[in-house]
Amino acid sequence: MATARARSKLTTDQIWATAPGEKRQVGVIHIVITALLIGIGFVVGAFGSISFPLGFGVNFFWTGIAVQQVGPIWFGIWGVIAGTIFPFFSNAIAGTPFYVSAAYIPANLIQALLPAFAFRFFKADIRLNSGRDFAILIGAMVVSSALGAMWSVLVVLRSFGLLTTNSIPLFLWGWFGGNVLAGLVFNIILLKALSPVVIRSTAFVKRWLA
Amino acid sequence: MNKTLLGYVPDRSPIYAIHPFVKLFFLLVVSLFPLFIAAPEWNFGLIIFVLLLMWYSRINMGIMRIYVPVAISMASIIFLAYVILGGYHPEYAQIGQLLAIRVYWERIRDAIVVYFRILPMIVMMVFFLNTSRERDVIVAMRTLRIPFVITYVFAMALRSAGMVIEDFGIVRQAEQARGFDTHGKSLPYRLRKYVMYMIPLFALSLRRAEEFSNALIARGFAFTGPASKIKRADFILTHYHFRRLDALLTAIIGLAFVALLVLRYGFGWFTLSRSVFLPWLETLLRHR
Amino acid sequence: MPPIVEIQNYTWRYLHADVPALQDINLTIEEGSFVGVIGPNGSGKTTLAYSLNGLIPGQYQGIKEGTVKIAGTEVESYRPGELPQMVGVVFSDPEAQFTAMTVEDELVFGMENLGLSIPEIRERLEWVTDLTQLKPLLEKPPYEISGGQKQRVALAAVLAMMPRVMVLDEPTSMLDPMSRKRVFDVLARLKRESHNTIIVIEHNLENLVPLADRMILLHNSRMALSDGTEAFFRQVDTLTEAGVYPPGGIAFFHALMKHGAFAGELPLTLDAAVARLEGLMSHE
Repeated sequence: MATARARSKLTTDQIWATAPGEKRQVGVIHIVITALLIGIGFVVGAFGSISFPLGFGVNFFWTGIAVQQVGPIWFGIWGVIAGTIFPFFSNAIAGTPFYVSAAYIPANLIQALLPAFAFRFFKADIRLNSGRDFAILIGAMVVSSALGAMWSVLVVLRSFGLLTTNSIPLFLWGWFGGNVLAGLVFNIILLKALSPVVIRSTAFVKRWLA
Repeated sequence: MNKTLLGYVPDRSPIYAIHPFVKLFFLLVVSLFPLFIAAPEWNFGLIIFVLLLMWYSRINMGIMRIYVPVAISMASIIFLAYVILGGYHPEYAQIGQLLAIRVYWERIRDAIVVYFRILPMIVMMVFFLNTSRERDVIVAMRTLRIPFVITYVFAMALRSAGMVIEDFGIVRQAEQARGFDTHGKSLPYRLRKYVMYMIPLFALSLRRAEEFSNALIARGFAFTGPASKIKRADFILTHYHFRRLDALLTAIIGLAFVALLVLRYGFGWFTLSRSVFLPWLETLLRHR
Repeated sequence: MPPIVEIQNYTWRYLHADVPALQDINLTIEEGSFVGVIGPNGSGKTTLAYSLNGLIPGQYQGIKEGTVKIAGTEVESYRPGELPQMVGVVFSDPEAQFTAMTVEDELVFGMENLGLSIPEIRERLEWVTDLTQLKPLLEKPPYEISGGQKQRVALAAVLAMMPRVMVLDEPTSMLDPMSRKRVFDVLARLKRESHNTIIVIEHNLENLVPLADRMILLHNSRMALSDGTEAFFRQVDTLTEAGVYPPGGIAFFHALMKHGAFAGELPLTLDAAVARLEGLMSHE
């Protein structure tokens, strides 16, 4: 179909660049996307937290990572906001104490922000058309999950006195591995399957806000 | 019982006479109590108190069954983290040995203290979720004068979570109608199926985003421009009145927190050294 | 008085589309009229609806030619939040347009966006729930009501804002026949009691035709036919060519006309058709 051909012709630069005369502005759709991502993340994250728990909101296969990292890649700051907020609610539903969930926010922020930043900074193709795109995605996932694990386990769980020194490696690897493993499964599939659709939607964010 | 996104709430309950702000205040403030209480018997008492509140609020106590696996899993993890992976501490009192692992009294004590700090917070969250309709949460937020956009995003998020759950249910029903069932299948197989659910759920949500936005715009909602600065009537608040009882309860909760801090830091209450249960348990474990 | 809707030489092509969704549309609608818009799928009906309330070009990227004016002002000239006060839209999917946690909140949402006071909101709420018979449902959450009830809620939510123009885009496509009738009963009452301009896009003609003052046919992105309802349905050949089949009563009498067995105005309702037939038979 002509439209599908036109879609597939888009180069990586064209995905991120604003065409001459193209007006992009923040609109109601971005608020809605934020809300929908929080809603999806709420459900998907709670499923992961309940199904594969390690303890205190740490999971050894956290399905919510898909929403937390793919959402910001597609929708910029709106996805970052959603990715930072929804784990608070999904953890609460799954029985993580309220204040522990709140203290995880910086970890969730870095995990949401870094992949979105990496894709925009390195101008990677969100359709994952080359090895470079995969490398940027996986690199961002690994670094963000490592930083997230360090904040959550070393700062939060230790500060609340919830862990002993000897159990730190278990939870560190649990958080890190649980995110990266789930990310490898879900992020790649979602980006490959849905990016062509997202690019054409009004909600897609080329810079950070619109 | 009414099914809401946040849980099953009773059709009628004395708790509905209380302003939603008070319930939120209770959750936020009383959840802090265990952080200042080390003696587990006090935190256990707090659990009993909240369970009694749940019973008084006519919550179906069977709902606690859902959280039993969470409590057991939490206990296992804490036991693992503190006792099994507690490390080598010659300064501690060893009371036993599990294969090559030394079991110290102090580690058991710390595990119990942590567990009984976490449990009341979970029970309070369960209480809140089972006595709050989605509207109550919105009202509590608007009473706190949280900006409308933030409140509405939260409301939309709750709404969309409900839709995702419905969509998921429909997909599962369609599969079952075709004789498909993941029961008894391996974990990798179930994971693969789960992945395949994600794509249509995401795609549906993307389509909904466009339709939702159109609906909001059609209702005159604007995020920018003069229309976004219009003073809203907050009609929902006309259904809720902050009465003297609500003010009294808010004051009691606040004063209880202050009293807790004074007793804790001024008089040393609720500390490990003042615990009655822990010395008894230590004696029991040493002389078994 | 200028027409409430004025479209001149309007063409709209969505970005990434090869052909325009609407081409060379020229249309004026007088205030207070009830207009039916019909046409096969893909003929541009929804695009027309979205063009009237500013969703196009506001929310959709594409190329626009010509003008679309509401109450004498081009839609793009209205500031965000202003046009919905003039043009209210009810979409086809009731699920997708319900954004509040209870029916009452849904009805009140639009009025709050307009900045109405609480007494004003109470008054309009009373009026609109009486009109659409929604009072027993006010406290119910959206997932507890039927599709037909949801669509009445959507209609009421827009009505409560009292727009001068109401556009309903296939409002009954997802409803059963009883629910469909209830929605049209509300529209009939609205037509009797208020001065709103109502534009209904529909496939189901049985309920639409008796209410419409005027009908428009869209075919292949163009306006193929526009006329008073009775004159519109005399052109059955044009309609069937476009894949639109008139209601049974009209088709029957048109066939009688073709065979020379009937001359006169086409009956637009089933009751009128029965009465006309009885009249014919009694003459024999």
